[in-house]
Amino acid sequence: MQRTFTKRTLAGLSIATVGLTLLRVFDPARSWIFPPCPVHYLTGWYCPGCGSLRAIHALLHGNLHEAWAMNPLTIVLLPFIAYGLVSETLVGLRGRGLPQPKLSSSAIYALGCIIVLFGVIRNLPMEPFSWFAPGAMLRF
Amino acid sequence: MFCPQCGANNADTAAVCVQCGRALQTGTPAAPLNVPGVVIPPDGTTVPNYLVFAILTTVFCCLPTGIPAIIYAAQVNGKLLAGDFAGAQAASNNAKIWCWVSFGIGLFGTLFWLLIFGTSMMRHLR
Repeated sequence: MQRTFTKRTLAGLSIATVGLTLLRVFDPARSWIFPPCPVHYLTGWYCPGCGSLRAIHALLHGNLHEAWAMNPLTIVLLPFIAYGLVSETLVGLRGRGLPQPKLSSSAIYALGCIIVLFGVIRNLPMEPFSWFAPGAMLRF
Repeated sequence: MFCPQCGANNADTAAVCVQCGRALQTGTPAAPLNVPGVVIPPDGTTVPNYLVFAILTTVFCCLPTGIPAIIYAAQVNGKLLAGDFAGAQAASNNAKIWCWVSFGIGLFGTLFWLLIFGTSMMRHLR
């Protein structure tokens, strides 16, 4: 069991390394190697994740302003996702992760609602909601 | 009380760890069993809620299938707090399934995209 966990951890780490390297080298806004968001491609609406690849690309180049403009939700959630992934990696490597906050189920439901709500308001055509569309805040 | 397995901070009266599901009241195993519906998991059993992966797949892969993963992740923690170990395990499995479905759709979409546009790009270059 321990062996499969380690294997899975190493696989995850390799995928993350390759992904981050590709994101650093290629700009998702210009390169064709990154697919467009399927939701935006099929419906024309922005989803909560639209702009997240461009945001991480900007972040990997140290441009926090552009990263925030592309997808502020991703930038807010990123530290927590990173903490969780580091913990998950440690579980795979040494069997024990980092201390985890005690999240109530209503807190997780609230988080889900925030994500969906963010996806809705960034499609609204009036300010200030339209500021949350990918790249809209670049003009400030 | 801190969980000896994952280090999560739990209420002193918690029967199981909210993070990993490990039984905490090992000194008094009989007491919680008097409460109907409470099942104490076998020692060292974990019930992951896959919340991090649910959010990752929602934000980076595919929204519609990531949402049920988040909902099931919430159910895992709620049922663990209520002592419903079997229910938490079922919700955990569902969260896992929806995470993989989202990931699979995202991966399939990416490969499909690379196939269609990669080949047309190559033809264009040639």
